[in-house]
Amino acid sequence: MTNSIGEIRDADFLFVIGSNTTEAHPIIAMEMKRAIGSGATLVVADPRSIWLSQLADKHLQLRPGTDVWLLNAMAHVIIGEGLVDQAFIDAHTEGYEAVAEAVRDYTPERAEEVTGIPAEDIIWTARRYATTEKAGIYYTLGITEHSHGTDNVYALANLVLMTGHLGKPSSGMNPLRGQNNVQGANDAGATPIFLPGYQRVDDPEVHAKYEKSWGVPLSPVPGMNLNVMMKAVGKEILGLYVMGEDILLSEPNVSRLEEGMNKIEFLVLQDAFMNETARFADVILPAAIFAEKDGTFTNSERRVQRVRKAVEPPGMARPDWEIVCDLAKAVGHDWKFENTAQVYAEMVRDAPKFAGISHERVDSEGGLQWPCPAPDHPGTKFLHEGGVLRGKGQFQAVQYRPSEELPDHEYTLVLSTGRTLYHYNAATQTRRESGLAAKQPRMFVQIHPWDAKQRGITNGERVEVYSRRGTITADAVVTKEVRRGCIWIPLHFAEARANLLTNDAGDAVTQTAEYKVCAAEVRKIPEQVLSAE
Amino acid sequence: MTDSLELDGKRVSFSAGETLLEVARRHGKEIPTLCHDPRLKPAGACRTCLVEVNGFRRMPPACATRATADMQVTTNSERIQRHRQGLLSLYLTDHPETQPERLSKNQLVEMAERYGAAGDWGSMASERAGRREDRNPYVHFEPDLCILCARCTRYCDEVEAVNAITLAHRGAKTTIATVDQASLMDTSCELCGGCIDVCPTGAMTEKLPLTRQVKPSKHLKVVRSTCNYCGVGCQLDLNVDTSANEGRGKVVRVTSPETGTTTNDGNLCVKGRFAYDFVDHPDRLTVPLIRQPDGSFKEASWEEAIRVAADGLSRVKSRHGADALGFVSSSRCTMEDNYVVQKLSRAAFGTNNCHQCAAT
Repeated sequence: MTNSIGEIRDADFLFVIGSNTTEAHPIIAMEMKRAIGSGATLVVADPRSIWLSQLADKHLQLRPGTDVWLLNAMAHVIIGEGLVDQAFIDAHTEGYEAVAEAVRDYTPERAEEVTGIPAEDIIWTARRYATTEKAGIYYTLGITEHSHGTDNVYALANLVLMTGHLGKPSSGMNPLRGQNNVQGANDAGATPIFLPGYQRVDDPEVHAKYEKSWGVPLSPVPGMNLNVMMKAVGKEILGLYVMGEDILLSEPNVSRLEEGMNKIEFLVLQDAFMNETARFADVILPAAIFAEKDGTFTNSERRVQRVRKAVEPPGMARPDWEIVCDLAKAVGHDWKFENTAQVYAEMVRDAPKFAGISHERVDSEGGLQWPCPAPDHPGTKFLHEGGVLRGKGQFQAVQYRPSEELPDHEYTLVLSTGRTLYHYNAATQTRRESGLAAKQPRMFVQIHPWDAKQRGITNGERVEVYSRRGTITADAVVTKEVRRGCIWIPLHFAEARANLLTNDAGDAVTQTAEYKVCAAEVRKIPEQVLSAE
Repeated sequence: MTDSLELDGKRVSFSAGETLLEVARRHGKEIPTLCHDPRLKPAGACRTCLVEVNGFRRMPPACATRATADMQVTTNSERIQRHRQGLLSLYLTDHPETQPERLSKNQLVEMAERYGAAGDWGSMASERAGRREDRNPYVHFEPDLCILCARCTRYCDEVEAVNAITLAHRGAKTTIATVDQASLMDTSCELCGGCIDVCPTGAMTEKLPLTRQVKPSKHLKVVRSTCNYCGVGCQLDLNVDTSANEGRGKVVRVTSPETGTTTNDGNLCVKGRFAYDFVDHPDRLTVPLIRQPDGSFKEASWEEAIRVAADGLSRVKSRHGADALGFVSSSRCTMEDNYVVQKLSRAAFGTNNCHQCAAT
């Protein structure tokens, strides 16, 4: 997030796109509700009708995967009506002309044909966004989990840059992070191209700095992105160490991944619970969970906060970092960390962005937002104040590309997947909580009444959902919350894995998989099968 | 824009829109409140925060009165004290005389003690309806303890914005209700538990700790930590029974820090507040396991498991090169866990094939 969670309540215009905020980020949704209560305008762009869209001034119910059309058409309106912030563009950006040229043909009327959103709603939204001072964009995986996810993000950034909604309170570009420490895992360097603090592994200076700091030779060759790695499992990748993720539940097109897993030579799994991936593990190392260990998480707004040990882990389970240090020691690397404060201190030693942060400061100040380059730096509430962080803000012209797999005569529906309020991702935690399990016990599929009727499906009926890659069963929820021609399923249920269906087509830049669009179909389950169940 | 007024004889400044309560508290004055919560619009309902203002015949509620220039405000006087004692005594007539030790503090009882309110003004047992049959797993409503401050219903409306609960009926029968007294499970309730957080008397309380007969809060250790679910980074207080589990300790309740102090502003969602049973779940992995030639797992010591794991990964490296290894780190683990995993991948095994689910 360029801005902070606490600024949301003061916003005057909220553009929420590809984010089911009430369910995935309930506390941020509360801040949005607070802004609405004080008179802010809310526009929700989402293929589904969600709780937040009921509170919205406008719900732009676009066809899945057509975001670039919507966003470019908004840019078209903003430019055409002279609503750009020319002073900001001149002072802080480059590449504007290319975008102006690229969006020339994206008229709201043509956008209506592609997205299904009335042209006047696109125009209204564009005008309000451009002319409201405190206007912020909030998005999550509905933007990124597409084969053109990067294009979606660029198209959003273009809107932010051309209207100058950057470097000011309650504005900016705000991806809401899905996991407690997904920001932090990237910050800490658990990425194939960056060492801690977004320093490239192939930058000679960075490379030399870390070889000296760690006292070992390092590879200057960027590694594999997770999605590339998963496709390479059983081929180039023959040994895996997996900490705290059930890849066989969470990665797309899991049946192909399973084939690869059969061919790998060695798998170490480190987790708190048995999971699907454990079937292929050679060694399983029991890990402590958050309440049993010390450390820090970094949240969506770049705020480093403490995790504190409250109870002892059960049995022989141990904190992950201790296990990892033991593994390193067993192959001849004794790092001699005595506690997590020392680990954090080593991390910031070579990462200027975080240099001013320490466990000690976080303990006394309650949390610190990076960039925080020095021990006397107060941290940074919102980014890009008084200009753009790195030189000039770069506009990126993007053109619409359809999703990789669109419906055809055999698989006639568009399937999207997502999270619900009552469960969390692989649900190893939430499905072990009786109350949540009672509220939402098993897999369901949302289907529009028209599509249900075509297939003779009634509400609550057990049905089969299938794609080119696999089949699962689910309870049909017949509802107008989804568009005609679209279905939606949650990703939490191990016995009906959503990712048996999803497409592992990746974004050209990030390789992020297209969890939000693939072609699928729903059918009744024959009577004899049901009775056998 | 700032202006000034006179607070207990002293000139103090205030900003436009501030209430007398906000100005007074900012200047360290003690004004009791029962229906007030900074997250909610002022209701002026409980009347405990009445102050004297020159030129006002009646005492106005500090929470709902905006500061204006040159106001002369008195926050403590004999008249105010008399009013507070009388009011709190009246509240006590509609409150159980003796109470079992509760999970949370009862602010009404504490306030009555602090201000010396009489506890013997008789009793008027109100017939407030509860929802004994509500099968929701988390929120318990104890109608006898309710003082109708409406913090819970206003929170449900103004903060969570689902309006699952409301004030219903009239007079002494007024209660906190759902539509047709339905279970919260069958309403628009999202089980955030905010009603519990704002309740001053413990009338709204956590059901699980109650049924499990958890020790009252003063016997629990409170550990401030960060929620382990989504990326908002809510601060939460793990309430730990340190003697449970043969001294390992057990998280028996989760509460939110005081409003205004953290990013989450005192709020939590259903997962953050209630989904903590996984910590202590019998399905937890507790022993290192090593796969046997017949496919089964054998329990092992840490020493042996680490050796087998290190040897296995090293063998792949020596056969196929370092880039035949992949390290999947976790956005669910700490900064420190992630730092050492990427260092393990790069410094100990020599590959940059290290990532986590941020790719998806």
